[in-house]
Amino acid sequence: MTYNRLESFSIVLLVPKWIHRVQSKKQESTFYVTPDHPYEILLFFRCHINTRFDVSIDICGVNCPSQEQRLRVLYQLPTTQYNSCIRIKIGVNEITIVSSVISISPSAGRWEREVWDTSGVHFSNYLGLCRILTDYGFEGHPLRKDFPLSGYVEVRYNDLEKCVVYELIEMAQEFCYFDLASPWQA
Amino acid sequence: MGPHHPSMHGVLRLVVVPQGENVIDCKPILGYLHRGMEKIAENRTIVQYLPYVTRWDYLATMFTEAVTVNAPEKLANIQIPERASYIRIIMLELSRVASHLLWLGPFLADIGAQTPFFYIFREREMIYDLFEVATGMRMMHNYFRIGGVAADLPYGWVDKCLDFCQYCLPKIYEYERLITRNPIFLKRVKGVGFISRQEAINWGLSGPCLRASGVQWDLRKIDHYECYDKIDWQIKWQTEGDSLARYLVRIDEMKESINIIQQALKLLPGGPYENLEGRRIAQEKGRMNWNSFNYQFVGKKSSPTVKLPRQEHYVRVEAPKGELGVFLIGDDSVFPWRFKIRPPGFANLQILPQLLKGMKLADIMTILGSIDIIMGEVDR
Repeated sequence: MTYNRLESFSIVLLVPKWIHRVQSKKQESTFYVTPDHPYEILLFFRCHINTRFDVSIDICGVNCPSQEQRLRVLYQLPTTQYNSCIRIKIGVNEITIVSSVISISPSAGRWEREVWDTSGVHFSNYLGLCRILTDYGFEGHPLRKDFPLSGYVEVRYNDLEKCVVYELIEMAQEFCYFDLASPWQA
Repeated sequence: MGPHHPSMHGVLRLVVVPQGENVIDCKPILGYLHRGMEKIAENRTIVQYLPYVTRWDYLATMFTEAVTVNAPEKLANIQIPERASYIRIIMLELSRVASHLLWLGPFLADIGAQTPFFYIFREREMIYDLFEVATGMRMMHNYFRIGGVAADLPYGWVDKCLDFCQYCLPKIYEYERLITRNPIFLKRVKGVGFISRQEAINWGLSGPCLRASGVQWDLRKIDHYECYDKIDWQIKWQTEGDSLARYLVRIDEMKESINIIQQALKLLPGGPYENLEGRRIAQEKGRMNWNSFNYQFVGKKSSPTVKLPRQEHYVRVEAPKGELGVFLIGDDSVFPWRFKIRPPGFANLQILPQLLKGMKLADIMTILGSIDIIMGEVDR
Protein backbone atom coordinates (compact mmCIF):
# COMPACT_ATOMS: atom_id res chain seq x y z
CA MET A 1 0.00 0.00 0.00
CA THR A 2 1.74 3.17 -1.06
CA TYR A 3 0.41 6.53 -0.10
CA ASN A 4 -1.25 8.47 -2.85
CA ARG A 5 -3.04 11.80 -2.80
CA LEU A 6 -6.40 10.43 -1.76
CA GLU A 7 -5.07 8.78 1.33
CA SER A 8 -2.96 11.78 2.22
CA PHE A 9 -6.04 13.98 2.08
CA SER A 10 -7.94 11.59 4.29
CA ILE A 11 -5.23 11.91 6.92
CA VAL A 12 -5.36 15.67 6.62
CA LEU A 13 -9.07 15.60 7.27
CA LEU A 14 -8.48 13.75 10.50
CA VAL A 15 -6.01 16.25 11.89
CA PRO A 16 -6.62 19.48 10.02
CA LYS A 17 -5.32 21.72 12.74
CA TRP A 18 -1.77 20.50 12.60
CA ILE A 19 -0.99 20.07 8.94
CA HIS A 20 -0.30 23.03 6.66
CA ARG A 21 0.24 21.34 3.38
CA VAL A 22 0.67 17.95 1.82
CA GLN A 23 2.91 17.16 -1.08
CA SER A 24 2.95 13.81 -2.81
CA LYS A 25 5.68 13.01 -5.27
CA LYS A 26 7.21 9.78 -6.53
CA GLN A 27 5.13 7.72 -4.13
CA GLU A 28 6.38 9.63 -1.12
CA SER A 29 4.17 12.01 0.80
CA THR A 30 5.48 14.99 2.67
CA PHE A 31 3.40 16.64 5.37
CA TYR A 32 4.20 20.19 6.40
CA VAL A 33 3.34 20.53 10.06
CA THR A 34 3.05 23.47 12.43
CA PRO A 35 6.10 23.67 14.65
CA ASP A 36 4.26 23.42 17.94
CA HIS A 37 2.98 19.91 17.50
CA PRO A 38 5.55 17.39 16.33
CA TYR A 39 5.02 15.23 19.40
CA GLU A 40 1.27 14.95 18.90
CA ILE A 41 1.45 14.29 15.24
CA LEU A 42 4.10 11.62 15.58
CA LEU A 43 2.05 9.94 18.27
CA PHE A 44 -0.95 10.03 15.98
CA PHE A 45 1.00 8.58 13.10
CA ARG A 46 2.38 5.87 15.29
CA CYS A 47 -0.82 4.66 16.83
CA HIS A 48 -3.50 5.13 14.20
CA ILE A 49 -4.43 1.85 12.61
CA ASN A 50 -4.16 3.02 9.03
CA THR A 51 -0.85 4.71 9.42
CA ARG A 52 1.35 2.59 11.63
CA PHE A 53 4.51 4.62 11.16
CA ASP A 54 6.29 3.27 14.14
CA VAL A 55 9.95 3.93 13.52
CA SER A 56 11.66 7.23 13.20
CA ILE A 57 14.36 6.26 10.84
CA ASP A 58 15.96 9.64 10.34
CA ILE A 59 15.65 13.19 11.57
CA CYS A 60 17.36 15.75 9.45
CA GLY A 61 17.97 19.44 9.84
CA VAL A 62 18.08 21.67 6.77
CA ASN A 63 19.14 25.28 6.64
CA CYS A 64 17.46 27.46 4.00
CA PRO A 65 18.60 31.00 4.68
CA SER A 66 16.54 32.57 1.94
CA GLN A 67 13.20 31.60 3.41
CA GLU A 68 11.45 33.04 6.39
CA GLN A 69 11.61 29.88 8.43
CA ARG A 70 15.27 29.39 8.15
CA LEU A 71 15.65 25.95 9.58
CA ARG A 72 13.62 22.90 8.89
CA VAL A 73 13.46 19.65 10.73
CA LEU A 74 12.45 16.62 8.72
CA TYR A 75 11.30 13.35 10.19
CA GLN A 76 11.38 10.26 8.00
CA LEU A 77 8.96 7.61 9.10
CA PRO A 78 8.63 4.26 7.42
CA THR A 79 6.14 1.66 8.46
CA THR A 80 6.95 -1.94 9.03
CA GLN A 81 3.40 -3.07 8.52
CA TYR A 82 2.51 -1.42 5.26
CA ASN A 83 5.32 -0.79 2.84
CA SER A 84 5.51 2.96 2.66
CA CYS A 85 7.35 5.93 4.00
CA ILE A 86 6.28 9.49 4.79
CA ARG A 87 8.12 12.62 5.66
CA ILE A 88 7.09 15.31 8.11
CA LYS A 89 8.54 18.76 7.80
CA ILE A 90 8.60 21.49 10.40
CA GLY A 91 9.83 24.98 9.70
CA VAL A 92 11.42 26.84 12.60
CA ASN A 93 13.85 29.67 13.08
CA GLU A 94 16.97 29.71 15.23
CA ILE A 95 15.26 30.41 18.54
CA THR A 96 12.20 28.20 18.36
CA ILE A 97 12.21 25.20 20.64
CA VAL A 98 10.73 22.00 19.25
CA SER A 99 9.33 19.34 21.54
CA SER A 100 11.30 16.15 21.48
CA VAL A 101 9.80 12.88 20.32
CA ILE A 102 12.15 10.67 22.26
CA SER A 103 9.40 9.27 24.47
CA ILE A 104 7.53 8.01 21.45
CA SER A 105 10.39 6.43 19.62
CA PRO A 106 13.66 6.09 21.54
CA SER A 107 15.63 5.91 18.33
CA ALA A 108 15.07 9.62 17.86
CA GLY A 109 17.50 10.43 20.66
CA ARG A 110 20.72 10.44 18.72
CA TRP A 111 19.17 12.05 15.67
CA GLU A 112 17.89 15.00 17.72
CA ARG A 113 21.27 15.47 19.30
CA GLU A 114 22.78 15.53 15.86
CA VAL A 115 20.28 18.10 14.61
CA TRP A 116 21.05 20.26 17.66
CA ASP A 117 24.76 19.89 17.05
CA THR A 118 24.84 20.58 13.37
CA SER A 119 21.96 22.96 12.76
CA GLY A 120 21.13 24.45 16.12
CA VAL A 121 17.50 23.47 16.60
CA HIS A 122 16.85 23.06 20.29
CA PHE A 123 14.62 20.25 21.56
CA SER A 124 12.72 20.44 24.83
CA ASN A 125 12.03 17.54 27.21
CA TYR A 126 15.32 15.96 26.39
CA LEU A 127 17.75 15.37 29.23
CA GLY A 128 21.19 15.11 27.84
CA LEU A 129 20.86 17.18 24.71
CA CYS A 130 24.52 17.80 24.03
CA ARG A 131 26.96 17.80 21.20
CA ILE A 132 27.51 14.46 19.60
CA LEU A 133 29.66 14.74 16.52
CA THR A 134 31.75 17.84 17.01
CA ASP A 135 34.57 18.51 19.40
CA TYR A 136 34.20 18.99 23.15
CA GLY A 137 34.21 22.76 23.33
CA PHE A 138 32.98 23.51 19.86
CA GLU A 139 31.09 26.71 19.21
CA GLY A 140 28.83 27.20 16.30
CA HIS A 141 26.63 24.93 14.26
CA PRO A 142 28.49 23.46 11.30
CA LEU A 143 25.73 22.66 8.86
CA ARG A 144 24.35 26.16 8.76
CA LYS A 145 25.06 27.83 5.49
CA ASP A 146 26.94 30.69 7.10
CA PHE A 147 29.50 28.40 8.67
CA PRO A 148 32.43 28.05 6.28
CA LEU A 149 33.56 24.67 5.05
CA SER A 150 36.94 24.92 6.69
CA GLY A 151 35.70 26.19 10.03
CA TYR A 152 37.24 28.83 12.25
CA VAL A 153 39.80 27.07 14.43
CA GLU A 154 42.42 24.54 13.69
CA VAL A 155 44.08 22.15 16.05
CA ARG A 156 47.72 21.26 16.31
CA TYR A 157 50.09 19.73 18.77
CA ASN A 158 52.33 22.24 20.45
CA ASP A 159 55.64 20.67 21.42
CA LEU A 160 56.57 23.37 23.92
CA GLU A 161 53.43 23.05 25.96
CA LYS A 162 53.16 19.30 25.27
CA CYS A 163 49.47 19.48 24.51
CA VAL A 164 47.02 20.10 21.75
CA VAL A 165 46.22 23.78 21.17
CA TYR A 166 43.45 25.49 19.25
CA GLU A 167 44.39 28.32 16.95
CA LEU A 168 42.68 30.37 14.33
CA ILE A 169 42.79 28.72 10.98
CA GLU A 170 45.52 29.51 8.53
CA MET A 171 44.87 28.42 4.99
CA ALA A 172 47.91 27.72 2.88
CA GLN A 173 45.84 27.47 -0.29
CA GLU A 174 42.89 29.47 -1.47
CA PHE A 175 39.50 27.85 -1.11
CA CYS A 176 38.88 26.14 -4.46
CA TYR A 177 35.42 26.70 -5.77
CA PHE A 178 34.56 24.42 -8.64
CA ASP A 179 32.87 26.29 -11.42
CA LEU A 180 32.37 23.68 -14.06
CA ALA A 181 30.98 25.02 -17.28
CA SER A 182 30.92 22.37 -19.92
CA PRO A 183 31.67 23.38 -23.52
CA TRP A 184 29.04 20.97 -24.76
CA GLN A 185 26.16 22.69 -23.09
CA ALA A 186 23.95 25.14 -24.80
CA MET B 1 37.25 2.28 27.48
CA GLY B 2 39.08 4.81 25.43
CA PRO B 3 38.92 5.83 21.86
CA HIS B 4 41.89 3.77 20.75
CA HIS B 5 40.59 0.27 20.56
CA PRO B 6 42.52 -2.86 19.71
CA SER B 7 39.66 -4.25 17.66
CA MET B 8 38.42 -2.98 14.37
CA HIS B 9 35.43 -0.95 15.44
CA GLY B 10 37.27 2.31 15.19
CA VAL B 11 37.46 5.19 17.60
CA LEU B 12 34.62 4.75 20.03
CA ARG B 13 34.83 5.94 23.60
CA LEU B 14 32.70 4.04 26.09
CA VAL B 15 32.39 5.46 29.58
CA VAL B 16 31.41 2.44 31.61
CA VAL B 17 30.26 2.54 35.21
CA PRO B 18 31.05 -0.85 36.70
CA GLN B 19 30.31 -2.31 40.08
CA GLY B 20 32.69 -5.17 40.53
CA GLU B 21 32.26 -7.19 37.38
CA ASN B 22 28.79 -5.92 36.53
CA VAL B 23 28.10 -2.97 34.31
CA ILE B 24 25.65 -0.49 35.75
CA ASP B 25 25.66 2.12 33.05
CA CYS B 26 27.46 2.91 29.88
CA LYS B 27 27.68 6.02 27.80
CA PRO B 28 29.12 5.91 24.32
CA ILE B 29 30.82 9.11 23.19
CA LEU B 30 31.11 9.52 19.45
CA GLY B 31 32.58 12.15 17.23
CA TYR B 32 36.20 11.15 17.15
CA LEU B 33 36.07 10.40 13.43
CA HIS B 34 33.77 13.21 12.38
CA ARG B 35 35.09 14.61 9.14
CA GLY B 36 32.24 16.82 8.03
CA MET B 37 31.17 14.62 5.13
CA GLU B 38 27.78 16.23 4.85
CA LYS B 39 29.19 19.72 4.68
CA ILE B 40 31.74 18.71 2.08
CA ALA B 41 28.98 17.18 -0.03
CA GLU B 42 27.38 20.58 -0.37
CA ASN B 43 30.46 21.80 -2.21
CA ARG B 44 31.19 18.95 -4.56
CA THR B 45 29.43 17.49 -7.55
CA ILE B 46 28.35 13.90 -7.23
CA VAL B 47 31.23 12.54 -9.27
CA GLN B 48 33.71 14.60 -7.28
CA TYR B 49 32.13 13.33 -4.10
CA LEU B 50 32.29 9.63 -4.95
CA PRO B 51 35.81 9.08 -3.59
CA TYR B 52 34.64 10.51 -0.27
CA VAL B 53 31.73 8.15 0.15
CA THR B 54 33.82 5.03 0.30
CA ARG B 55 35.38 6.44 3.43
CA TRP B 56 32.10 6.26 5.38
CA ASP B 57 31.93 2.51 5.67
CA TYR B 58 35.36 1.49 4.57
CA LEU B 59 34.72 -2.24 4.70
CA ALA B 60 31.64 -2.41 2.49
CA THR B 61 32.51 0.30 0.06
CA MET B 62 30.26 -0.55 -2.85
CA PHE B 63 27.11 0.13 -0.82
CA THR B 64 28.06 3.68 -0.03
CA GLU B 65 28.76 4.34 -3.68
CA ALA B 66 25.53 2.63 -4.72
CA VAL B 67 23.38 4.78 -2.50
CA THR B 68 25.19 8.01 -3.47
CA VAL B 69 24.64 7.27 -7.12
CA ASN B 70 21.06 6.01 -6.69
CA ALA B 71 19.98 9.31 -5.16
CA PRO B 72 20.55 11.53 -8.24
CA GLU B 73 19.34 8.75 -10.51
CA LYS B 74 16.01 8.65 -8.76
CA LEU B 75 15.81 12.43 -8.60
CA ALA B 76 16.47 12.98 -12.29
CA ASN B 77 14.81 9.72 -13.40
CA ILE B 78 17.82 8.28 -15.14
CA GLN B 79 17.47 4.66 -16.18
CA ILE B 80 20.39 2.32 -16.04
CA PRO B 81 21.08 -0.46 -18.53
CA GLU B 82 20.48 -4.02 -17.40
CA ARG B 83 24.07 -5.06 -17.67
CA ALA B 84 25.06 -2.27 -15.36
CA SER B 85 22.38 -3.35 -12.92
CA TYR B 86 23.68 -6.92 -12.84
CA ILE B 87 27.27 -5.76 -12.47
CA ARG B 88 26.17 -3.61 -9.56
CA ILE B 89 24.44 -6.56 -7.90
CA ILE B 90 27.54 -8.72 -8.25
CA MET B 91 29.78 -6.02 -6.81
CA LEU B 92 27.37 -5.31 -3.97
CA GLU B 93 27.09 -8.92 -2.96
CA LEU B 94 30.86 -9.42 -3.12
CA SER B 95 31.17 -6.38 -0.90
CA ARG B 96 28.63 -7.86 1.51
CA VAL B 97 30.61 -11.09 1.78
CA ALA B 98 33.77 -9.08 2.36
CA SER B 99 32.14 -6.98 5.06
CA HIS B 100 30.68 -9.94 6.92
CA LEU B 101 34.02 -11.73 6.77
CA LEU B 102 35.76 -8.77 8.30
CA TRP B 103 33.07 -8.57 10.94
CA LEU B 104 33.59 -12.23 11.80
CA GLY B 105 37.32 -11.93 12.42
CA PRO B 106 37.34 -9.13 15.01
CA PHE B 107 34.15 -10.39 16.65
CA LEU B 108 35.79 -13.71 17.41
CA ALA B 109 39.07 -12.03 18.26
CA ASP B 110 37.24 -9.96 20.89
CA ILE B 111 35.70 -13.10 22.31
CA GLY B 112 39.11 -14.71 22.43
CA ALA B 113 39.45 -16.90 19.37
CA GLN B 114 42.41 -15.68 17.34
CA THR B 115 42.33 -18.22 14.49
CA PRO B 116 39.42 -17.02 12.35
CA PHE B 117 40.98 -13.54 12.24
CA PHE B 118 43.71 -14.91 9.99
CA TYR B 119 41.48 -17.16 7.95
CA ILE B 120 39.06 -14.45 6.86
CA PHE B 121 41.80 -12.50 5.19
CA ARG B 122 42.29 -15.37 2.74
CA GLU B 123 38.89 -14.86 1.13
CA ARG B 124 39.00 -11.13 1.58
CA GLU B 125 42.26 -10.92 -0.35
CA MET B 126 40.64 -12.85 -3.18
CA ILE B 127 37.75 -10.42 -3.23
CA TYR B 128 40.24 -7.56 -3.20
CA ASP B 129 41.95 -9.08 -6.25
CA LEU B 130 38.66 -9.33 -8.09
CA PHE B 131 37.87 -5.73 -7.26
CA GLU B 132 41.30 -4.54 -8.28
CA VAL B 133 41.06 -6.10 -11.70
CA ALA B 134 37.61 -4.68 -12.33
CA THR B 135 37.81 -1.27 -10.72
CA GLY B 136 41.47 -0.46 -10.30
CA MET B 137 41.53 -0.21 -6.52
CA ARG B 138 41.49 -2.82 -3.80
CA MET B 139 39.35 -1.02 -1.28
CA MET B 140 38.31 2.50 -2.17
CA HIS B 141 36.99 1.87 -5.66
CA ASN B 142 35.52 4.85 -7.38
CA TYR B 143 33.44 2.56 -9.52
CA PHE B 144 29.78 3.53 -9.60
CA ARG B 145 28.59 6.38 -11.78
CA ILE B 146 25.27 8.07 -12.33
CA GLY B 147 23.80 5.90 -15.05
CA GLY B 148 25.78 2.73 -14.50
CA VAL B 149 29.32 1.77 -13.65
CA ALA B 150 32.59 3.35 -14.68
CA ALA B 151 34.05 0.59 -16.81
CA ASP B 152 33.02 -2.80 -18.05
CA LEU B 153 34.25 -6.05 -16.52
CA PRO B 154 37.50 -7.24 -18.08
CA TYR B 155 37.71 -10.39 -20.15
CA GLY B 156 37.80 -13.49 -17.95
CA TRP B 157 36.45 -11.78 -14.83
CA VAL B 158 33.23 -13.75 -14.89
CA ASP B 159 35.10 -17.08 -14.88
CA LYS B 160 37.38 -15.97 -12.07
CA CYS B 161 34.42 -14.85 -10.05
CA LEU B 162 32.67 -18.19 -10.53
CA ASP B 163 35.86 -19.93 -9.42
CA PHE B 164 35.92 -17.74 -6.34
CA CYS B 165 32.32 -18.63 -5.48
CA GLN B 166 33.05 -22.32 -5.80
CA TYR B 167 36.08 -21.89 -3.56
CA CYS B 168 34.40 -19.70 -0.98
CA LEU B 169 31.27 -21.68 -0.22
CA PRO B 170 33.05 -24.70 1.32
CA LYS B 171 35.19 -22.26 3.32
CA ILE B 172 32.11 -20.71 4.87
CA TYR B 173 30.99 -24.18 5.87
CA GLU B 174 34.45 -24.65 7.34
CA TYR B 175 33.97 -21.54 9.49
CA GLU B 176 30.68 -22.92 10.66
CA ARG B 177 32.21 -26.24 11.58
CA LEU B 178 34.97 -24.46 13.43
CA ILE B 179 32.86 -21.98 15.34
CA THR B 180 29.16 -22.62 15.62
CA ARG B 181 29.10 -25.67 17.85
CA ASN B 182 32.18 -24.73 19.81
CA PRO B 183 31.13 -24.91 23.48
CA ILE B 184 33.31 -21.99 24.57
CA PHE B 185 31.86 -19.80 21.84
CA LEU B 186 28.32 -20.81 22.70
CA LYS B 187 28.82 -20.07 26.35
CA ARG B 188 30.14 -16.60 25.57
CA VAL B 189 27.50 -15.74 23.04
CA LYS B 190 24.26 -17.56 23.68
CA GLY B 191 21.68 -15.51 25.54
CA VAL B 192 23.87 -12.43 25.61
CA GLY B 193 22.44 -9.13 24.46
CA PHE B 194 18.85 -10.09 23.90
CA ILE B 195 16.72 -7.69 21.86
CA SER B 196 13.04 -8.40 21.58
CA ARG B 197 11.10 -7.86 18.40
CA GLN B 198 9.22 -4.78 19.54
CA GLU B 199 12.32 -3.20 21.01
CA ALA B 200 14.20 -3.73 17.78
CA ILE B 201 11.51 -1.90 15.83
CA ASN B 202 11.24 0.89 18.41
CA TRP B 203 14.92 1.61 18.45
CA GLY B 204 15.10 1.83 14.69
CA LEU B 205 17.46 -1.07 14.18
CA SER B 206 17.92 -2.47 10.74
CA GLY B 207 19.87 -5.14 8.97
CA PRO B 208 21.04 -8.32 10.68
CA CYS B 209 20.22 -6.97 14.16
CA LEU B 210 16.57 -6.62 13.15
CA ARG B 211 16.44 -9.89 11.29
CA ALA B 212 17.88 -11.77 14.21
CA SER B 213 14.98 -10.60 16.38
CA GLY B 214 12.34 -12.11 14.18
CA VAL B 215 11.43 -9.30 11.77
CA GLN B 216 11.78 -10.31 8.14
CA TRP B 217 12.81 -6.90 6.93
CA ASP B 218 15.19 -6.86 3.99
CA LEU B 219 15.24 -3.79 1.79
CA ARG B 220 16.28 -5.79 -1.22
CA LYS B 221 12.93 -7.54 -1.16
CA ILE B 222 10.92 -4.55 -0.01
CA ASP B 223 12.14 -1.79 -2.27
CA HIS B 224 12.67 -4.01 -5.33
CA TYR B 225 15.72 -2.10 -6.38
CA GLU B 226 18.18 -3.08 -9.08
CA CYS B 227 17.49 -6.56 -10.48
CA TYR B 228 17.11 -8.50 -7.25
CA ASP B 229 13.65 -9.65 -8.28
CA LYS B 230 14.98 -11.66 -11.17
CA ILE B 231 17.22 -13.72 -8.90
CA ASP B 232 15.92 -16.46 -6.67
CA TRP B 233 16.98 -15.92 -3.08
CA GLN B 234 15.53 -15.90 0.45
CA ILE B 235 15.72 -13.60 3.43
CA LYS B 236 17.70 -15.14 6.26
CA TRP B 237 16.38 -14.53 9.74
CA GLN B 238 16.28 -15.96 13.24
CA THR B 239 13.93 -15.50 16.15
CA GLU B 240 16.08 -15.59 19.27
CA GLY B 241 17.44 -12.06 19.20
CA ASP B 242 20.67 -12.70 21.06
CA SER B 243 24.24 -12.43 19.82
CA LEU B 244 24.24 -16.01 18.59
CA ALA B 245 21.24 -15.27 16.39
CA ARG B 246 22.99 -12.21 14.90
CA TYR B 247 26.03 -14.35 14.17
CA LEU B 248 23.90 -17.02 12.48
CA VAL B 249 22.08 -14.45 10.37
CA ARG B 250 25.35 -13.05 9.06
CA ILE B 251 26.79 -16.47 8.24
CA ASP B 252 23.60 -17.38 6.39
CA GLU B 253 23.67 -14.08 4.56
CA MET B 254 27.16 -14.84 3.34
CA LYS B 255 26.00 -18.14 1.88
CA GLU B 256 23.00 -16.47 0.31
CA SER B 257 25.23 -13.76 -1.20
CA ILE B 258 27.40 -16.38 -2.88
CA ASN B 259 24.22 -17.92 -4.25
CA ILE B 260 23.09 -14.54 -5.60
CA ILE B 261 26.48 -13.89 -7.21
CA GLN B 262 26.45 -17.23 -8.97
CA GLN B 263 22.98 -16.65 -10.35
CA ALA B 264 23.72 -13.09 -11.40
CA LEU B 265 26.89 -14.15 -13.22
CA LYS B 266 24.92 -16.66 -15.24
CA LEU B 267 22.20 -14.11 -16.01
CA LEU B 268 24.60 -11.30 -16.98
CA PRO B 269 23.35 -9.79 -20.25
CA GLY B 270 25.31 -7.97 -22.89
CA GLY B 271 24.82 -4.35 -23.59
CA PRO B 272 26.18 -1.02 -22.40
CA TYR B 273 27.54 -0.58 -18.93
CA GLU B 274 26.65 3.04 -18.52
CA ASN B 275 23.83 5.21 -19.67
CA LEU B 276 25.79 7.87 -21.45
CA GLU B 277 22.70 9.52 -22.80
CA GLY B 278 21.28 9.98 -19.36
CA ARG B 279 23.07 13.22 -18.70
CA ARG B 280 22.12 14.83 -21.98
CA ILE B 281 18.54 13.64 -22.05
CA ALA B 282 17.88 14.83 -18.57
CA GLN B 283 18.87 18.31 -19.65
CA GLU B 284 17.38 18.35 -23.12
CA LYS B 285 13.94 17.20 -22.05
CA GLY B 286 13.05 15.16 -25.05
CA ARG B 287 14.28 12.68 -27.51
CA MET B 288 17.48 13.36 -29.34
CA ASN B 289 17.34 13.36 -33.08
CA TRP B 290 19.71 11.18 -34.96
CA ASN B 291 21.86 13.17 -37.37
CA SER B 292 21.37 16.34 -35.41
CA PHE B 293 24.42 18.42 -34.64
CA ASN B 294 24.08 17.88 -30.90
CA TYR B 295 23.84 14.12 -31.05
CA GLN B 296 27.51 13.67 -31.79
CA PHE B 297 28.27 14.89 -28.30
CA VAL B 298 26.07 12.33 -26.58
CA GLY B 299 28.44 9.44 -26.75
CA LYS B 300 31.36 11.48 -25.49
CA LYS B 301 32.09 11.64 -21.84
CA SER B 302 31.94 15.33 -21.29
CA SER B 303 32.54 16.75 -17.83
CA PRO B 304 29.97 14.78 -15.92
CA THR B 305 27.99 17.52 -14.29
CA VAL B 306 24.43 16.45 -13.77
CA LYS B 307 22.23 19.25 -12.60
CA LEU B 308 20.21 18.02 -9.66
CA PRO B 309 16.61 19.15 -9.97
CA ARG B 310 14.94 21.07 -7.19
CA GLN B 311 13.45 18.06 -5.44
CA GLU B 312 14.19 15.93 -2.46
CA HIS B 313 14.33 12.23 -2.17
CA TYR B 314 15.33 9.58 0.31
CA VAL B 315 16.94 6.45 -1.10
CA ARG B 316 18.11 3.49 0.89
CA VAL B 317 20.16 0.38 0.38
CA GLU B 318 20.47 -2.79 2.40
CA ALA B 319 24.06 -2.44 3.54
CA PRO B 320 25.63 -5.28 5.52
CA LYS B 321 25.29 -3.23 8.70
CA GLY B 322 21.70 -2.19 8.15
CA GLU B 323 19.75 0.42 6.28
CA LEU B 324 22.07 2.94 4.70
CA GLY B 325 20.11 5.89 3.44
CA VAL B 326 20.80 9.20 1.77
CA PHE B 327 18.41 12.10 1.86
CA LEU B 328 19.23 14.40 -1.01
CA ILE B 329 17.76 17.85 -1.56
CA GLY B 330 18.70 19.18 -4.96
CA ASP B 331 18.80 22.80 -5.86
CA ASP B 332 18.88 22.96 -9.67
CA SER B 333 22.64 23.24 -9.63
CA VAL B 334 25.49 20.79 -9.74
CA PHE B 335 26.00 20.88 -5.98
CA PRO B 336 23.38 19.35 -3.69
CA TRP B 337 21.70 21.64 -1.19
CA ARG B 338 21.57 19.09 1.60
CA PHE B 339 23.08 15.64 1.60
CA LYS B 340 22.02 13.81 4.72
CA ILE B 341 23.56 10.45 5.34
CA ARG B 342 21.61 7.99 7.44
CA PRO B 343 24.21 5.53 8.65
CA PRO B 344 23.07 2.20 10.05
CA GLY B 345 25.73 2.18 12.72
CA PHE B 346 24.52 5.43 14.26
CA ALA B 347 21.07 4.01 14.88
CA ASN B 348 22.22 0.54 15.86
CA LEU B 349 24.64 1.94 18.43
CA GLN B 350 21.86 3.62 20.38
CA ILE B 351 20.70 0.38 21.88
CA LEU B 352 24.08 -0.36 23.43
CA PRO B 353 23.57 1.27 26.87
CA GLN B 354 20.32 -0.55 27.37
CA LEU B 355 21.76 -3.90 26.39
CA LEU B 356 24.71 -3.52 28.71
CA LYS B 357 22.79 -2.92 31.92
CA GLY B 358 23.37 -5.85 34.21
CA MET B 359 25.90 -7.59 32.01
CA LYS B 360 29.42 -8.53 32.96
CA LEU B 361 32.40 -6.51 31.80
CA ALA B 362 33.45 -9.28 29.45
CA ASP B 363 30.11 -9.13 27.66
CA ILE B 364 30.67 -5.56 26.51
CA MET B 365 32.88 -6.67 23.66
CA THR B 366 30.58 -9.50 22.68
CA ILE B 367 27.58 -7.21 22.41
CA LEU B 368 29.48 -4.39 20.76
CA GLY B 369 30.90 -6.81 18.24
CA SER B 370 27.63 -8.45 17.47
CA ILE B 371 25.95 -5.14 16.69
CA ASP B 372 28.66 -4.58 14.04
CA ILE B 373 29.41 -0.90 13.85
CA ILE B 374 32.04 0.96 11.89
CA MET B 375 32.91 4.34 13.30
CA GLY B 376 33.65 5.77 9.86
CA GLU B 377 29.99 5.78 9.03
CA VAL B 378 28.75 6.51 12.54
CA ASP B 379 30.71 9.73 12.73
CA ARG B 380 30.98 10.55 9.05
